[in-house]
Amino acid sequence: MSAKQPIICLQDIEKTFLLGDLTIEVLKGVSLDIGAGEFVALRGVSGSGKSTLMHILGLLDRPTGGRYLLQGEDVAALPDDRLSALRNRLFGFIFQTFHLIPYLSALDNVMLPGLYGATPARQLRRRAQELLSQVGLADRLHFRPGQLSGGQQQRVAMARALLNDPQVLLADEPTGQLDSATSTEIIALLKTIHSQGRTVILVTHDAATAESAEREVLLHDGLVQNR
Amino acid sequence: MTAWSRIAETLRVAWRCAGMARHALWAAKTRSLFVVAGVALGIASLTIIVAAVDGADRKANEMVALFGPDAALVLGGNIQTRAVGQRTLTLSYEDAAALRRSLPGAYLVVPMRSKSNVQVRYGGRVTQVPLVVGTTAGYARAWDWPLSEGRDLSEQDLTHSARVGLIGDTIAQELFGQQSPIGRTVLMDRFPVQIVGRLSYRGVTGGGGPVDDRIIMPITTLTKRFHLDRKYFRALRIKFHHPEYMSEHVANLRSLLRHLHGLRPEQEDDFTILTADEILQFLSTFKGGLVLFLGVTALVAMLVGGFVLANLFYLGVDERRAEIGLKMALGAPRWAILVQILLEAVGLTLIGAIFGMFLGIAMGQLLARLGVLEILFSWKVFGFALFASLAIGLIFGLKPARRAASMAPIDALKGS
Ligand SMILES: Nc1ncnc2c1ncn2[C@@H]1O[C@H](COP(=O)(O)OP(=O)(O)OP(=O)(O)O)[C@@H](O)[C@H]1O
Ligand SMILES: [Mg+2]
Repeated sequence: MSAKQPIICLQDIEKTFLLGDLTIEVLKGVSLDIGAGEFVALRGVSGSGKSTLMHILGLLDRPTGGRYLLQGEDVAALPDDRLSALRNRLFGFIFQTFHLIPYLSALDNVMLPGLYGATPARQLRRRAQELLSQVGLADRLHFRPGQLSGGQQQRVAMARALLNDPQVLLADEPTGQLDSATSTEIIALLKTIHSQGRTVILVTHDAATAESAEREVLLHDGLVQNR
Repeated sequence: MTAWSRIAETLRVAWRCAGMARHALWAAKTRSLFVVAGVALGIASLTIIVAAVDGADRKANEMVALFGPDAALVLGGNIQTRAVGQRTLTLSYEDAAALRRSLPGAYLVVPMRSKSNVQVRYGGRVTQVPLVVGTTAGYARAWDWPLSEGRDLSEQDLTHSARVGLIGDTIAQELFGQQSPIGRTVLMDRFPVQIVGRLSYRGVTGGGGPVDDRIIMPITTLTKRFHLDRKYFRALRIKFHHPEYMSEHVANLRSLLRHLHGLRPEQEDDFTILTADEILQFLSTFKGGLVLFLGVTALVAMLVGGFVLANLFYLGVDERRAEIGLKMALGAPRWAILVQILLEAVGLTLIGAIFGMFLGIAMGQLLARLGVLEILFSWKVFGFALFASLAIGLIFGLKPARRAASMAPIDALKGS
């Protein structure tokens, strides 16, 4: 059920890395439309370029070829500060490795994306507390990442991704380092997030996990295989 | 968005960056401590240098005030080219009389002799007086040194070689305590002298040592009782009207003295003329040396602190790639990263400045107490220290901060 107006439109996206005189072609022409409000699983074996594609989607990296239209706008033309602002307001990231700041409490970690915006600190704090309760960490607000389990850290990362109320959530193997029970909880949370009207893009190598999405995109040998 | 609200938002983000900087510094305590210590040493030296220069200035002003801007002091002998065996007793009473008669602008000519380390006794109390000065009438006036009690030496005291004296405040305290010394007789080396006046407390040290522990007597009495040379004296104090013509006064004085001493043009002066100007010149040379020595020390110490900061921050930025990449991924604009790292640097140098100031003040007090330096602390010290630490933080923090801000978010995030 692709929407009429895609929020994300990739046309022949290429990504080539240069290692000395070695060129590594990771993405060889990926074309993909993602509509607002979709829940898409991006599946592929390890090394197929899923993270690379997600970084391009999330404006963390620029493609070496092709066009990326975000809400109809070519991102290649956007200046750095505009990209920062879009990352800040439009996207929420959940990374493969959690990427929490070790010396900050769970609460401060969750508040981090809000600090670069205009929301007053008190409001940010309230929202961060709310989100942490929603992911079941109301009693862990002042714990450091090192004092939390892997699943708890991933839920802190999810709360952080939602702080600025993003339209698009990008989750890179959010269950990759977790046991199956915890994984199920995380997937359930993603479904809730989707049901709130957000676009969710879930990166996974696991077919079963990909099942939970509405639509599956298979990445193989640098190209999208299905649809 | 209006310009105002944009500025307000930028300031808010900058303020939040300061909070993040604080957290990051606290998380890297050891590194922070090194930077603080390095900067503190530099600022301590700077604190001492500023205080010492101010101290030297105050000292100079005190000495000039003590000496008098309208006065000259003539010493026998030439202190610049003092040849071995050259006479220092070159000023005679005839010279003094001639100067009184014919030196234009001079209204007071007071010859002086001195005798050091004389034992003075009153009742059961004994004290050693470092300096007994023999002079003519008007000592208090010649040195702008008012009496707190009694009277100055008079012409009669001089002609009769009267056994009278003026007493310095410190000795008066030592010998008489709270009682008035006026009219009492002390024994100076078993020779009785009646105290007729008490010099007010000056408290400052002029050149050699304290000035309040001296006794002043008629020069005639001193010469007789201590069997000193009757024709010559050691120094001559002259006061002039119109101090704005001091250089002309000094020129007149010099040519008159050369004439009286029968010096031929190729001969050097056999006397030395000191004025407030010369004292100032001497002191400013001294101050220049002080500034140079301490300035080099402070500069080196601050540069060392700065390089410690630059290197540790450079390494730190590398170590913190992942954190910086994450912040960029979460939407931090490059300027916010730059501001955070700069604030970390400036924060540490400011803390270093505070510690450095305390350290400098403590060391300065110690040096002052040991008598090595004259020290004067003022707000200027704080100003200099704050400015210097700010400059170190900004200058040496800029390179690491720019490095952090220029990272590509994805490379930083991957930690490559
Ligand atoms: N900076 C880089 N320089 C060179 N090669 C890179 C770089 N980043 C990624 N690659 C290569 O791109 C390929 C895809 O990497 P990517 O991280 O996107 O895989 P992935 O599908 O996310 O794998 P996984 O499931 O293991 O996370 C890999 O072969 C990797 O070696
Ligand atoms: Mg990956």
